Amino acid sequence: MSVLTRPPGAAPAEGSSATSPTLRSAWRGSRIIALLGLIVVLVAIIGVLLSGGGGESRRLDPDDTSLAGSKALAEVLRSRGVTVDRVDSVQAAAAKGAAGDRLLLITDMSYFDEYTLTKIPGDRLIVGDLPGLPVLAPGVRSELATARTRSREPECPLPAARAAGSAYMGGAIFTGPAGATSCYPDGDGYALVSFPSAGGVTTVVGDGGFMTNQRLAEDGNAALALNLIGTGKAVTWLVRPDVPPVTELPGERGQSLEDLMPDNVRWMIYMSIIALAVTAFWRGRRLGPVVAEKLPVVVRAAETVEGRGRLYRARRARQRAAESLRAGTIDRLTPRLGLGAGAGQHEVVAALAARTGEDPQQVGAALYGPPPADDAGLVGLAGYLDLIERQVSEL
Amino acid sequence: MALTGRAGLLAAVGIVVVMLAPQPGPALAGVCLLLAAGIVVDLVFAGAVRPLRFHRSGDTLVRLGRSATVELIVENPGSRRVRGVLRDAWPPSAGATPRVAPLDVPKGERRRIVMTLVPTRRGDRSSVAVTVRSVGPLGLAARQGGHRAPWSVRVLPPFLSRKHLPSRLARLRELDGQHPALVRGQGTEFDSLREYVVGDDVRSIDWRATARRNDVVVRTWRPERDRRVLIVIDTGRTSAGRVGDAPVPMAGAAAGGGGLLVRPDPRPAPGWPRLDWSMDAALLLAALAARAGDQVDFLAYDRAVRAWVSGASRTELLSSLVNVMAPIEAELVEADSQGMVAAILARAKRRCLVVLLTDLNGAAMDEGLMPVLPQLSSRHLVLVAGVSDPRVVAMAGRRETTEEVYDAAAAEHAQLERRRITARLRRHGVEVVDAPPEEIAPALADAYLALKAAGRL
Repeated sequence: MSVLTRPPGAAPAEGSSATSPTLRSAWRGSRIIALLGLIVVLVAIIGVLLSGGGGESRRLDPDDTSLAGSKALAEVLRSRGVTVDRVDSVQAAAAKGAAGDRLLLITDMSYFDEYTLTKIPGDRLIVGDLPGLPVLAPGVRSELATARTRSREPECPLPAARAAGSAYMGGAIFTGPAGATSCYPDGDGYALVSFPSAGGVTTVVGDGGFMTNQRLAEDGNAALALNLIGTGKAVTWLVRPDVPPVTELPGERGQSLEDLMPDNVRWMIYMSIIALAVTAFWRGRRLGPVVAEKLPVVVRAAETVEGRGRLYRARRARQRAAESLRAGTIDRLTPRLGLGAGAGQHEVVAALAARTGEDPQQVGAALYGPPPADDAGLVGLAGYLDLIERQVSEL
Repeated sequence: MALTGRAGLLAAVGIVVVMLAPQPGPALAGVCLLLAAGIVVDLVFAGAVRPLRFHRSGDTLVRLGRSATVELIVENPGSRRVRGVLRDAWPPSAGATPRVAPLDVPKGERRRIVMTLVPTRRGDRSSVAVTVRSVGPLGLAARQGGHRAPWSVRVLPPFLSRKHLPSRLARLRELDGQHPALVRGQGTEFDSLREYVVGDDVRSIDWRATARRNDVVVRTWRPERDRRVLIVIDTGRTSAGRVGDAPVPMAGAAAGGGGLLVRPDPRPAPGWPRLDWSMDAALLLAALAARAGDQVDFLAYDRAVRAWVSGASRTELLSSLVNVMAPIEAELVEADSQGMVAAILARAKRRCLVVLLTDLNGAAMDEGLMPVLPQLSSRHLVLVAGVSDPRVVAMAGRRETTEEVYDAAAAEHAQLERRRITARLRRHGVEVVDAPPEEIAPALADAYLALKAAGRL
């Protein structure tokens, strides 16, 4: 006897082997990966240390050495004996302002309240079309149009501008209140507006480009900046804060929910997280592997026939459907009527009419007539064919 | 390593402790230390899993629909008691229970775990892994480890048509002329002379022999013996189609009831593959033919020989057949009829009855078997058996709504194709058996008996 295919697999009854790795083999298997991970972490740490603080450049910041910063201007001012204080909050600016007559240089208003700022006395230099401008510089209207930033002549009697000559100016343009001096005209407005206000002189410039490290050495930029800022007064340089101030919502008597909570609750939350981790590990640890199994395909043999039926339906293939139904009926009836397989149309109709007593015309139309015109006709035809067949089989 | 529910409970108690403690920070540190110490103690003092040894014994063969038992003996040569749970992982269709068994083996002893397998489909099922979780003395943490303890159980076809065997054997004995119902043996081969008993056909009296002796002697005939029957099963794509109702619940159908993710399928159960029905019919035919004294060979073919059994003795035939049939699955490729005929011709030198179990599918037959059939039918007697689909018959009968009428038309078309191919096969001198799944086995057996009675083998 020869049997191809594997004999029944009575596996070796004796012997079993452990499959889970020992500590040593686990270490041997994963040490390359651990080493690679260590290298990646070291490279990342070294990279971060070498790149220094880095980060994005801070425009018009007196401490920023990038092209958009203004460290050069601040250093020049300091070398001329002007005190430059960088502040990043309204409170700090107000504290400085209270000490004496100072110039407040405003480069950003994203997180500041203009009403608090207006309370600080002294000169004021506002760079750009900042939000809150109407409050900070009352009477100055910013135009909708903007001017291209380029080298411009002052074309005005303001000594600071006249002395500097052409400067890199543009950006937002303004129209000043009555009595204001306006320089660097473009269209309907001016890129620099200076006017005396309550506590001192307020100056608004359209763009701070002339103050940046990149542009300071060009044109009369440095002269204009020094003339505008270095008036001898100490400068309070207000910049955007590194970390946006958190909006605090103090509750009753200034206490937040965290203050009101007993200390235990916070520790209890930590303990809950630990307990959750322990529970997750308890439930998540699987007892042995997931067993995958290749299953045979599950497809019903009738699916092709059902698909053909749906195709008939989708295409409204009444002719084909009627042909199939008629052919099936004729195929089953001819032996019952005592006719051979090759019986012609007339023989079948005549034999059928004689057997069932139906009208030969009607039987002929049902079996060999034109295909039904609509679905209702098809259903009717199917019913009639069924009826004939039943009559023949009952007789 | 694994944690237990007790560790989770301890951590949960820790929440309450921390909430009530006057100094919550140190309390948290204390609870965590306690938990960690408990886990370390458990891991250190739990019975070792790695040195465990496993031995298997039990069934290696089981009929589909029956249950098998496999014993797993756990031997603990370690120095500590191993207490915990054990999981013997089998594929889902092996139907192994219990899924997780409790385990408690004192040091130096062995314990037996009995697994019961109720497979839901044919084929070989092997244990994938044995996993043991050994819990420490405090019950907080456990050591866990896997072992390979190979064992394989072959699930054989169920041979459901066995119930038809006694009636067919009775018919066979009638043919043989051995039956007490005093009918003349219907064979054409002279068997023996025996004494006349009342009721025997007088035409079968052998007068010459009667003259030699004092008694009246009749001749008996018996059908031809020692003919060859070659059963060929087509395992190509058409044999994968499922028909009828599965007599044994399918894999997944029985187990999937409780799962949250398993939605009940609104469509009717897809039944059994044609291949399994064909195997059932082949087994009945083989059993019958072996009793009738014929030599039975078996071939399974799609694009290559899947199984071949030849020259098995009468007593071994059925067991070797079910053994080779067990792992055969339908291949999702078009069967190579030319190759199949070549394989048959190469194996069957003498004239024999070739029983081809395939699907009477018009398109597949036209392109595959029809052109090469004359090669086969000129040298052998060919019987083609196909399992019809009762669902198609039901579809042809339902004609109430528009959808049903279109479906009925498609079903009629399929049946016409089937009748056309049957007629063409008969014109080639091929016997055809076309029956629904439940009746294919007895119908094939009857066709064989008819051929035998007619002396056409």
